[in-house]
Amino acid sequence: MATGFLTDTTVCIGCKACEVACKQWNQIPADGYELSGNSYDNTRQLSGTTWRHVAFIENPKHRRLTGDVDLVALAEDVREQLPGGAELDALGRWTFMSDVCKHCVEAPCQQACPTGAIIRNEFDNVYIQPDICNGCGYCVPACPYGVITQVPEDGRVFKCTLCYDRQRDGMEPACAKACPTNSIMFGEVEELKKVAEERITTLRAKGYSQAYVYGTPEVGGTGGIGGNHSKFILLDEPETYNLARHPFLPQAKVRGAFVTSAIAAGVLGAVVALAFRD
Amino acid sequence: MADATRETLQNRNGHPDNGRPETSHHTRTDPKRDEKGYYGVPPIKAAHWTWQIPLYFWIGGIAAGVQLFTTLANVLGHEDEALTRVGRYTSLVAMILSPILLIWDLGRPERFYNMMRVWKLRSPMSNQSWSLVMYGNLSGLLAVRQAAEDGLLGRNFLSRLLIQLIPAKVLSILALPVALFVGSNTGTLLSATSVPMWARNWAFMAPTFLASGVSTALSYLSLVLHLGRWGEEKTHTVLRRAERATILVEAALIAASLIRMGRWGKPLFSKEIAPLFVGGTLIGGIAAPLALLSGKETRNKSILTSVLVLLGGLAFRFAMVHGGRQSANDPEAYFSFASGENAPQPEDKV
Ligand code: SF4
Ligand code: SF4
Repeated sequence: MATGFLTDTTVCIGCKACEVACKQWNQIPADGYELSGNSYDNTRQLSGTTWRHVAFIENPKHRRLTGDVDLVALAEDVREQLPGGAELDALGRWTFMSDVCKHCVEAPCQQACPTGAIIRNEFDNVYIQPDICNGCGYCVPACPYGVITQVPEDGRVFKCTLCYDRQRDGMEPACAKACPTNSIMFGEVEELKKVAEERITTLRAKGYSQAYVYGTPEVGGTGGIGGNHSKFILLDEPETYNLARHPFLPQAKVRGAFVTSAIAAGVLGAVVALAFRD
Repeated sequence: MADATRETLQNRNGHPDNGRPETSHHTRTDPKRDEKGYYGVPPIKAAHWTWQIPLYFWIGGIAAGVQLFTTLANVLGHEDEALTRVGRYTSLVAMILSPILLIWDLGRPERFYNMMRVWKLRSPMSNQSWSLVMYGNLSGLLAVRQAAEDGLLGRNFLSRLLIQLIPAKVLSILALPVALFVGSNTGTLLSATSVPMWARNWAFMAPTFLASGVSTALSYLSLVLHLGRWGEEKTHTVLRRAERATILVEAALIAASLIRMGRWGKPLFSKEIAPLFVGGTLIGGIAAPLALLSGKETRNKSILTSVLVLLGGLAFRFAMVHGGRQSANDPEAYFSFASGENAPQPEDKV
């Protein structure tokens, strides 16, 4: 049985309850008080000490709300021509997204790890065993989503554990528990896939034709890594959420590099051997 | 390629430009319209590697090249005691320094032995650890035999026994592929990541590092033999010839790498790295030595050439590692790389 997340960005209100719940439950150190200037997002990005990160996207690139708008009608999903020629798209274009480790099916971080610290646990989640990691940091540039970083004070690397400890006790992860809008859903990957499909159908029926699921190998362009166990429902290009459109498995080319290295070794050997001729 | 996202996005609302209509407030010429990403926050994280790693790449490359040259000399029947001696001691020193540098770089150095828990063929870092263990042991044995031959262990029964027991030729032939692996793997280590500049160049990264390793090793040998006024005349001639040829191979591989990297190789020519890469590697480490090698040979000139090649190789490794950091921190580079045919995908087999 594989468990994972489905993060529905269309209902996220940016309250950051997940960020807080994650920090509290997992006892992750604070990141300090720094103002980023990036909207209301002072967390900025995922890291070894931030396992949930809520992105605040103020999208000026989109239609603006102009004219005399009936906000009640708007909230009730009225999609006809608005008075004063007002145009709108996804409630005034605030976009929030609670980002997290994608728990890739063919996880590049796991393949990179030389100590075997990164494993798939019994819930099929990608898990870093803190008692094994020696902080070589090779998983950091391997991750196609910039999820892992080394925590300098500790020396090791950390990331979302999908609340391994809570799952073992039959509880859902802290972030999913805390989320007030159910933007973060936790469950079996197969179930969540169905939930996601239904939600997309609903969204499309409401006129959000651009809605799609990010994280399935067939649809989201994540085939390079076999898809993600934590998926997202998105309304915008993946890049808007700082996600790669087609993440790839860096290790797919290790065998190729062996071959080219062997050829190069042969050529160099021959070149040097030729120099010995009298 | 499964490219449903792109199609969905491009066709949505009938607008070709991702469904973004032109408005008076955001005209088509507004640069923000096409800006991708999230406040310029890098979508991937750069490796934390500091100076230890590029320095290790350099030393590992030299060890590989030294092993290649001395083994070939041995197999092809060119016996030069000084060369053998320098080669064996160098490999040992390199194989002592390399793990020190690598362990130094760990976040938890006291746990270095966890590298020996598993061996994962797909992890260049794991392969590196194991190949260093193997080559370290082989070069250690060879160095012990050399020490016994040189009388450093005393002229006693033990020394004679060691000389008898350690089969030098077999060991050095065994060590050759391992050493070459160490040298090339320094490149694979970089290319098997999500960093656009490195990953794009997967085919030439390891060969280029290996070629550069061999050229620096030949220069190193020639430098040491010149400084000590050791070695036979023939050794020097062969070294010189081989140096010229490998620098040419290296130059060709760097050119191929640059072509392959294309726009993702830009960091190598950035303000911070260009002095290292263009000045240090291309001009100092390749062009100048080639010019020096074509003229009449003198001892001083050879020494200068060797120093230039060695420094050029060191600059190359620093440029590559730091260039990768810039590449990882550039959202545009990563998004353009991971948006289509550029990045390696499951369906393209080697
Ligand atoms: S998103 Fe990154 S850290 Fe998470 S499983 Fe995938 S590669 Fe590993
Ligand atoms: S830093 Fe730790 S988890 Fe990451 S690759 Fe190294 S040993 Fe594995």
